[in-house]
Formats: sequence, C-alpha cells, structure tokens
Amino acid sequence: MALSEAIAAAFALLLSGDAALWRIVWVSLFTSVTGLALAAPLAVLLGYAIAVHRFPGRRLAIWIAQAALSLPTVLVGLLLYLVLTRHGLLGGLQWLFTQRGIIAGQVLIALPVLVAFTLAAVQAADPRFAETALVHGASRWRVMLTVLYEVRFGVMAAVISGFGRVISEVGCALMVGGNIAGETRTITTAIALETSKGEFAQGIALGIVLVAVALAMNAVLLLLQGDASTAGGVS
Amino acid sequence: MSVLLSVDRLRKAHGARTLFDLRDFQLDAGAAYVLTGINGAGKSTLMRMLAGLEAPDAAAVIAFGGHSAPLRPYPRELREHIVYVHQDPVMFSTSVAHNVGYGLYARGRHGAEADARIASAMAWAGVASLNGSPPARLSGGEKQRVALARAKVLEPRLLLLDEPTANLDGAAREQVIALIPDLVAEGRTVVMACHDRDLIGLPGVRRMKLRDGQLELKS
Repeated sequence: MALSEAIAAAFALLLSGDAALWRIVWVSLFTSVTGLALAAPLAVLLGYAIAVHRFPGRRLAIWIAQAALSLPTVLVGLLLYLVLTRHGLLGGLQWLFTQRGIIAGQVLIALPVLVAFTLAAVQAADPRFAETALVHGASRWRVMLTVLYEVRFGVMAAVISGFGRVISEVGCALMVGGNIAGETRTITTAIALETSKGEFAQGIALGIVLVAVALAMNAVLLLLQGDASTAGGVS
Repeated sequence: MSVLLSVDRLRKAHGARTLFDLRDFQLDAGAAYVLTGINGAGKSTLMRMLAGLEAPDAAAVIAFGGHSAPLRPYPRELREHIVYVHQDPVMFSTSVAHNVGYGLYARGRHGAEADARIASAMAWAGVASLNGSPPARLSGGEKQRVALARAKVLEPRLLLLDEPTANLDGAAREQVIALIPDLVAEGRTVVMACHDRDLIGLPGVRRMKLRDGQLELKS
C-alpha cells in the first residue's frame, strides 16, 4: 500500500468511528491520564522538597531523578513484570496484563520526569518568593503553594512532558499489559502490532490521534500561559 | 520609651571572618532607626537574621514584647509581629490587591474586614489605581510602595526595610520616603538599612552604624 493510500485509509478509519480503534485510544488515554494523576502530586512534592531542603543524600536524590529520565521504558517494564508476575513481590495483586499494571508502569515512568522538571523549575525560581511569603506569615505549606504557583508553567511543562513520555512509550505497556485487544492494547502497542502485520492504515490513524493529543496538550499550556496576567493566585 | 526587642549575642561569621558579634542589641518600641555601614558590613544580614531569613551562628536569645526565646530556630510567633521588605521587592504574579493582602490571607483573614484593610493600605501607598496592572510590570517605585502596603496591612510591631530607596530616583524615591513617617507615627518600630541622606535626615530617626563587627548608636 502506498503511503498516500495508507493515510487516506487511516482518515477513513478515524471518521468511520471504528469501535476497536477508539477503544485503543480510550485505553491509552485512561491509563496515561490515571498514571499521571497518581504520579504528579507525589512527584511535585518530591521535586519541591529536593529543591528547597538541604539534607544528607540530596545530591544522590537529584542524580537518581535525572538518571531515571534516560531509563529505557522497556527496562521499567521488565522490572515491573518481575515484581507483578505470579511469584513476584506483588504477584498477589494480579495486576499483570491488566490496565492497573500499565498504570503502575506509567507512574514509574512519569515520576522521574515530573520530579526532575519540578526540581529544575523550583530551583530556578527567585528565592525572594519564598522569603516574601515566609516573612508575611505564610506556613511552610503556603510557602510551597505560593512558590509552585509562581513556577506553575514549569510545573505544567513537567506534567505535559510526563504525559508525552507515558502516552508514547511502548516497552512497558507491551511487557506489563500484554497487548490484549480491548483490554490493554494501547496506541503505541497497537501501532507496533499493526505495523508488524503490514496493516499501516490503523497504525497511521493511531499515530494521527497521538499527534493530535500532543498538539492539544501544548495548546492548553499556551492558552494558560496567555491567561497568566489575570490569574487569581493562592489566597 | 519601652524596649521592643533585645537580642543577646547576635553573631555571624563567613568562614574565618566575623561579620558582626553584637551583645545586648536593643530596639525601642515606636522608634525609627537607620542602619548604616559600608557595603559588606552586614546590614542586610543583620536585618535578615531578625526576620528569620538567616540563622545566627551563636546561640542568640531574643526577647520580644516581654517573651524570650532562642533565635534559632526562629520563633514562629515573631512572624506575627516582624515584617521584612527586600531592597527590590518581588511581586507575586496575581494582582496588586492580592499582593497587598497576602499576609492577611496567610493568617486566614478573608472577607469584608480584610478587603477594607487592603483597600486602606493601597490608598495610603497610592497604589489603588494600579490594581489592574500585572504586578510584575510595575516600576521599582510602585513595587516598593506595594511592598510597604503589603507590610503595613499586617500592622507589624517591627518593620525591617532593606535599602528602601536604593534603586529609586526622582519622584519614585520621594513617594517612598514620604510614607515612612506615617509608619512611625502609627507606633511601629522601623529599621531601615540605607545610605539615603533624606531617610537618615527624617525627624526623630536614630542612627546605628555597623563598623568592624560592632554596632554604634549615634545621636
């Protein structure tokens, strides 16, 4: 099939409302957003804590967070597989080849991205924000919320980068999810499968969805940045 | 005049160099002070220490309003009474009114009373008309006046102003200087680290000078 024919077939597939295709999109979005939602609060707290507190092992924590950015997702998948397999440490959970297993993998993949980006954003923040909050009687929690609000675009960029990493990864979802149709088949695992079968139309259709999601996420960030001057703040 | 604050053994060293080592440092209630000294004498460090932004080296004990406590860790209750204003104040990226009310909100004070206090402080500082402006885009003088309103609204007993006119000139500088006597007239103790002759020359202002690690009180 020529590329132009494959692209035309891909659009036809998207517009036809193909249930199997949109189920794949749903599984991808659900597992990615859930994984990100679970990872983000903890990661932002960790990133902030590492940025502002001096404690033994801080440099080690920064090194681990930054090194984990380049950890291959397939390796995360392998380690998680060994933990979730029947005789593994968490085998009793029976999460292997389920969406919960994929979500656990997404949490592990998103965490270092979110921690490292939040850490960088908070470290780059003007220290007078925290000092001003403190001398005006803010509690430690309020100081944190104030600083995070001031670096909100950095934190949002962290979340979008984390989302980009989890929705586009294939290794972990394949190993832990098992690529089961209708259950754990995600956009990326489906693209890999369909391409290996020579079925390019569905792969391209899913690729278009992936690109559309990435563009939409970045558009949202730009819109929020545009509204910065009218933001309300922590009160 | 009663003593508002006294600190016994306030010491700070950078490596082997002792920046200052003050014994029985005192500030009177309702008095205005200027703190002078050459660059690097430790003026800002002393102010930041009193504000709890830097820790002293020695085991200093602070007595404030009749209560004594170690200065390290910084007593939480001092935050209720002492406000420090940076030389170049930073504005939160919310609104001018929100900046002015920040300390009230941090204390859980919302509603009509808080709004009235914020409006009053903004009118006093002459920044009420700036409320529609993005705080980050205010001029240096406007930011300093918003910062003074942000401090005043909390009715602190001690106000520490670090070089309040250092980055200002002309009308902006005069507008800031004009606000200082009001703060003193309200009964607040005001300490200004500065070299500004007009601030030093304000009526009733006492002069302290940090020199060779010691504090000299001048008449």
